[in-house]
Amino acid sequence: MNVEATGLAQTAFTGRKKLSFKSVLREAGIGLALVALVIIFSVTTEHFLTANNITNILTQVTINLVLAVGMTFVILIGGIDLSVGSLLALCAVVAGKAISLDVGVPMAISLAVLAAVLAGTVCGLLNGAISAFWALPSFIITLGMLNVARGAALHISDARTIYSFPSEFNAFGSMTLYGIPVVFLVALMLALLAWFVLTRTVFGRLLYGLGNSEEAVRLAGHSVFWCKVAAFTICGFTAGIAAIIYMARLNISSPIAGVGFELNAIAAVIIGGTSLSGGRGSVLGTLLGAFIIGVLANGLILLGLSDFMRQMITGVVIIVAVILDHYRAKYTRN
Amino acid sequence: MKILKVAAAAAMTFALATAPAMADDKPVVGLVMKSLANEFFKNMLEGANAHEAKRGDYVLKAVGMQSEADIETQINAVENFITQGVDAIVIAPADSRALVPPLKRAMEAGIVVINFDVALDEKAKEENGVELAFVGPDNRGGAKLAGDALAQKLGKGGKVVIIEGNPGADNAHQRKMGFEDSIKEGGLVLVESRTAHWETEEANTVATNILTANPDIQGIMAANDSMAIGVVKALESAGRSKDIMVVGFDNIPAVSPMLSDGRLLATVDQFGQEMAANAIDIALDVLAGSPKPQGWVRTPVTLVTGEK
Repeated sequence: MNVEATGLAQTAFTGRKKLSFKSVLREAGIGLALVALVIIFSVTTEHFLTANNITNILTQVTINLVLAVGMTFVILIGGIDLSVGSLLALCAVVAGKAISLDVGVPMAISLAVLAAVLAGTVCGLLNGAISAFWALPSFIITLGMLNVARGAALHISDARTIYSFPSEFNAFGSMTLYGIPVVFLVALMLALLAWFVLTRTVFGRLLYGLGNSEEAVRLAGHSVFWCKVAAFTICGFTAGIAAIIYMARLNISSPIAGVGFELNAIAAVIIGGTSLSGGRGSVLGTLLGAFIIGVLANGLILLGLSDFMRQMITGVVIIVAVILDHYRAKYTRN
Repeated sequence: MKILKVAAAAAMTFALATAPAMADDKPVVGLVMKSLANEFFKNMLEGANAHEAKRGDYVLKAVGMQSEADIETQINAVENFITQGVDAIVIAPADSRALVPPLKRAMEAGIVVINFDVALDEKAKEENGVELAFVGPDNRGGAKLAGDALAQKLGKGGKVVIIEGNPGADNAHQRKMGFEDSIKEGGLVLVESRTAHWETEEANTVATNILTANPDIQGIMAANDSMAIGVVKALESAGRSKDIMVVGFDNIPAVSPMLSDGRLLATVDQFGQEMAANAIDIALDVLAGSPKPQGWVRTPVTLVTGEK
């Protein structure tokens, strides 16, 4: 067991971690990369730094941010969740069916939100329970769930797009508050809540401990099983929230929505400095990671680069970010 | 031609003779489709099932794939149909080149092969010594119908954007060319052409960003309706629904409210529901002794607008 793990197991009892210079530095690097991107696009394009475009960027990062916050919990314990894109589709389809019920608008919307969140949470719980109970790699269990959820979404919707939602619901998707999209505020609140749970609660510190050493958590007298289940359940829950945002924004539920979203979410988490092997990382990093991906996608279109160039540059940025993180991790350890 | 007919008849007798256990001696048609997760093919399958029930003189065996790019599954499906000794294979190929060799094997086994929806590559057919007609819609011509409708509204010099389908997909390429034909003919100005991979959310993002960079655009041509929905939502959010017009392709049910209130100017219907059924009819005709179709048998495409 390494020293860091023991330390983390100890912090589990105090339930607090002081904001050290090193932990600030960790996010500062990613923050600087984001600032650099913003400066580059502000100089090279005419429309990047306009109020409208900033509103657009906030809308465009929202879904990925929500999924990435959930993914952070799973990656922190050394797991991975490949099913979130498919879960989003399943939740959206279930909610689409609920919102089309003839029970009055407020009731239909409430049922839809409840249905999406419930579907996501239950699937996440299954992901966690199965991989924790039989100690199986979450990579393969969630890959299975990816197919189960996609199949279920197609089956329930009969492969058809569900459309025509109440206008009240639709309005929520494009509502802004002082230029800030309301859906983004929802995502931000979720990120804040996640930050609080991970840094200010015993449970959160246990998740970090789990990523470093399961043994340490077990010896400290905590249930490894339930911590793992909780992390995956939270991830499933965020897929449900993301589904509602997807529906409100586009006013449809598509059973083929969200293909590949899991990879974007994982990229945001990793760019944000969370270690793929677990135990190290933060929600703040994930927030910045999601913004790097969103700003890049937005700015490269404004620059007028071709689709293929854009795809290549996005790939290069992900690789460079992870290389930088490697050195940053080395530096902060010494 | 006569030789072909005799060969087909011989093949049929052979098939019937070797498979006496086939139910009621009805010919068996193997239908190979693309992704059933796609509404378009789902409708097509339902059309084919209804057709089987209505005609009642053949047995339908349908196979779909999990995703658009699942070429392997299609090749396996063709090979399984050869093993089962079906009488005809009706196929919407996932790849216009990779499917040519297995289909050649099917033809050599005496199976009537009909290629529909997406045309097999001419060069690949030539290289493999395969002669096979194509039964399907004119994607390029269909896209031009939608593009022309937009050009007519905008007039010369109108600034437009194309939202493309998957790069590398034949129908995406054809539709893009159709839009470009309209642009050239109608004197429009193409500002940007970008892919959104057939997907609503991506089209929404891409259209929003293009609009930011080019606030003066007047029209958007989307290569399918799923993307057109994302574009329409992007314009609504930007408050530009009134002054920017959108056209789509496929006529999926979800766009009908958009057509009737004018948020979508037009879309194109290629009658997917009947497409497989028509191809099966042709296959059964050939089995019954009609000459094999030649070249390109065009199936109808129609412009759909909100005006009744």
